[in-house]
Amino acid sequence: MMKVVALAGNPNVGKTTIFNELTGMRQHVGNWPGVTVEKKEGILEYKGEKFLVVDLPGTYSLTAHSVDELVARDFLLKGSADVVVDVVDATALMRNLFLTMEIFEMGLKNTVIALNKIDLAEKRGIEIDARKMEAVLGVPVIPLNAKEGIGIKELKKKIYEVAHRKTRVEPIIPRYDPAIEREIEHISTVLKHTELAEKYSLRWLAIKLLMRDEEVIKLVLRYLGSEKLNEIMGHIGEVEERYKRAMDLMIASQKYEFVDSLMHRFMRYRFEQGETFSDQLDRILTHPVYGLLALFAVFYLMFKFIFAFGMPLQGMLDDAFSSFGQWLAPQIASETLRGLLVDGVIAGVGAVLSFFPLVFLLFLVMAFLEDVGYMARAAVVMERMMRKFGLPGKSLIPLVLAFGCNVPAVMGTRTLDEEKDRIVTMLINPLIPCSARLSVISFLAGAFFKENQALVAVSIYAVAILLALLMAWVFSRFLVGGETSPFIIELPEYLVPSWKTVIIHSWERSKEFVKKAGTIILAGSIAIWYLSNYPSVIGSGRSYAERIGMFFEPYVRLMGLDWKAAVSLLFGIIAKENVISTYGVLYGSREAIINAMVPLQAYVLGLVTTLYIPCIATIGAIKAEAGWKWAMFTVVYMIGLASVVGIITYHAALALGF
Amino acid sequence: MDMIVPLNSLKPGEKGMVVNILGGAGARQRLVAMGLTPGATIHVIESHPFGPIILSVSGTRFAIGRRLAGKVMVRKL
Ligand SMILES: Nc1nc2c(ncn2[C@@H]2O[C@H](COP(=O)(O)OP(=O)(O)OP(=O)(O)O)[C@@H](O)[C@H]2O)c(=O)[nH]1
Repeated sequence: MMKVVALAGNPNVGKTTIFNELTGMRQHVGNWPGVTVEKKEGILEYKGEKFLVVDLPGTYSLTAHSVDELVARDFLLKGSADVVVDVVDATALMRNLFLTMEIFEMGLKNTVIALNKIDLAEKRGIEIDARKMEAVLGVPVIPLNAKEGIGIKELKKKIYEVAHRKTRVEPIIPRYDPAIEREIEHISTVLKHTELAEKYSLRWLAIKLLMRDEEVIKLVLRYLGSEKLNEIMGHIGEVEERYKRAMDLMIASQKYEFVDSLMHRFMRYRFEQGETFSDQLDRILTHPVYGLLALFAVFYLMFKFIFAFGMPLQGMLDDAFSSFGQWLAPQIASETLRGLLVDGVIAGVGAVLSFFPLVFLLFLVMAFLEDVGYMARAAVVMERMMRKFGLPGKSLIPLVLAFGCNVPAVMGTRTLDEEKDRIVTMLINPLIPCSARLSVISFLAGAFFKENQALVAVSIYAVAILLALLMAWVFSRFLVGGETSPFIIELPEYLVPSWKTVIIHSWERSKEFVKKAGTIILAGSIAIWYLSNYPSVIGSGRSYAERIGMFFEPYVRLMGLDWKAAVSLLFGIIAKENVISTYGVLYGSREAIINAMVPLQAYVLGLVTTLYIPCIATIGAIKAEAGWKWAMFTVVYMIGLASVVGIITYHAALALGF
Repeated sequence: MDMIVPLNSLKPGEKGMVVNILGGAGARQRLVAMGLTPGATIHVIESHPFGPIILSVSGTRFAIGRRLAGKVMVRKL
């Protein structure tokens, strides 16, 4: 069995950078079982031995208040790791060592501290004596500058030693004032006779009980029974009464005092830093007015960049696949096989891969902005506005991504802290018109509304965005449970990004997109090919596709549309740009559409195309992130919404005499 | 001179020492884990009407929602 190395630490301390340095490109990104928290695993090889490195979610503490924290905590608590590397940011020792103390309190004796960002600490006048720190804390301390790869060799060596018990690890345990220590003592005595004593550190259980940790209360209840547990909890209440403070607050502040008392034994400030460049920049970038302007500028440039480079690449790949199909077609004798391969498989793979450049560039820019430190500022600026609609400021990022493509946008909701925020953002995400729908909207606007082209297009966008905000408000209020997340976010110092981290990160993400969306899009295009070629070819009026369209005709008639629209919308589910191309097939050419519809019908079609069922790839992404239930819900509510809007628009316009 | 006020009433440039955190355990423990704990000194950097407050605690900068900040009681320094 491979030995397991777990990386733990606060967010943004450099865990990912260290993970990459340890494992190189041999890594795998997945999910922790049952939750939408990203799980990264990789292989570290040292002295011919292989270690499984697991990157735990970055957390500030190990309470039971968020999924991230629970995942990290359970992993450590179960003793799943042979070595725990606690990554500590040297520029914020106080807060980082708080988590370290929580790890120590669990009773783990296999921790190594990776003291990261020593280069930054030095610049800020923070002097840390790693040898003394090691002596005070009782665990190995390895100073690192992970960005430059400095100290990685020593870290690997230490991991190896701890894994083989060649280094003594005796972590210091935080002490509290006598009143609290008495309680800990008391609870430990009660628990000593249960089976819990074999599995957990009693001191840790006692402290968590004192903090009224829900998970631990449940756990203890199972072993101790409600009577004894109630007795303990009652006693805790009395102590809190006496001190007029919540117990968890007392414990936390004493833990900080403890850390503080340790710290000045190995750390000192050589000089105090005045206002930094980051401070000055923040004055502008988090300002309610200038910050908003900056935000628009940043997102504008981001899209400029993505489309400037992504679109040509997409076009090239698209062309390459269709020429390949054209070249291949005559070589296949069997008509069925030819159709399946050329129109089904190659068209499908082509569609997926031609999206790749756009998706990769989107992730690249996002990772870049994140790494520079800008994303946290964007969240601050947006917090003010988004909160009114029940969304956190951070959800702006996935929503903006959605204008490009909803699939990475749905995946981007992972950056949100609360389950509730993730779900709501995911649900409204497909309402934001992606670039595929832009192509439909701009075609219809151009063909039917020569004079007011831009106005028509903008009005459809406006309807979609307003509905997204409205639905966000409705969902967060009435549908998705959970507390509104209190807003607190760290503003990391602005940094020159590490290109290696940024590129590896976006590469992994986009690979995942291709894997996830790929199979679905492929299956979809095979289905299209089948429906439009059997029992006879589309255009004959007898293909399955046309029959389905005719079946739905009475329904779409309510919106003034005909069966051809129904067929197009059906194929649009595979990919939205299909709406127009299917029309083309049904009428013989795109241009023929212009004579077949009146402007009002075209407008309704554009609106409905924007609002109805998300494309299959998006459904797949929602399913992967939140499960079938939410994916199906999205489909259903969007059909409902599109129908209502379509019907009202059509009849209102008729009534107004359009 | 004991002036105990909620954090969201401090103006930019002012400092305060945390004395207590009110409200539910969820919000409280979140604040505490980030270093906003009784005894910590908070330095308010930016504060605009309605929006989050920007502050620094032992060298780290945070943005914190106005409502959440209202639960942090500080002694003005
Ligand atoms: N100067 C300096 N910067 C570093 C060092 N290690 C990491 N960084 C930078 O710190 C930032 C955060 O690094 P990540 O590796 O993404 O941190 P993380 O802990 O994985 O962060 P999350 O993914 O948010 O949990 C990046 O901009 C890195 O380039 C270091 O030793 N020195």
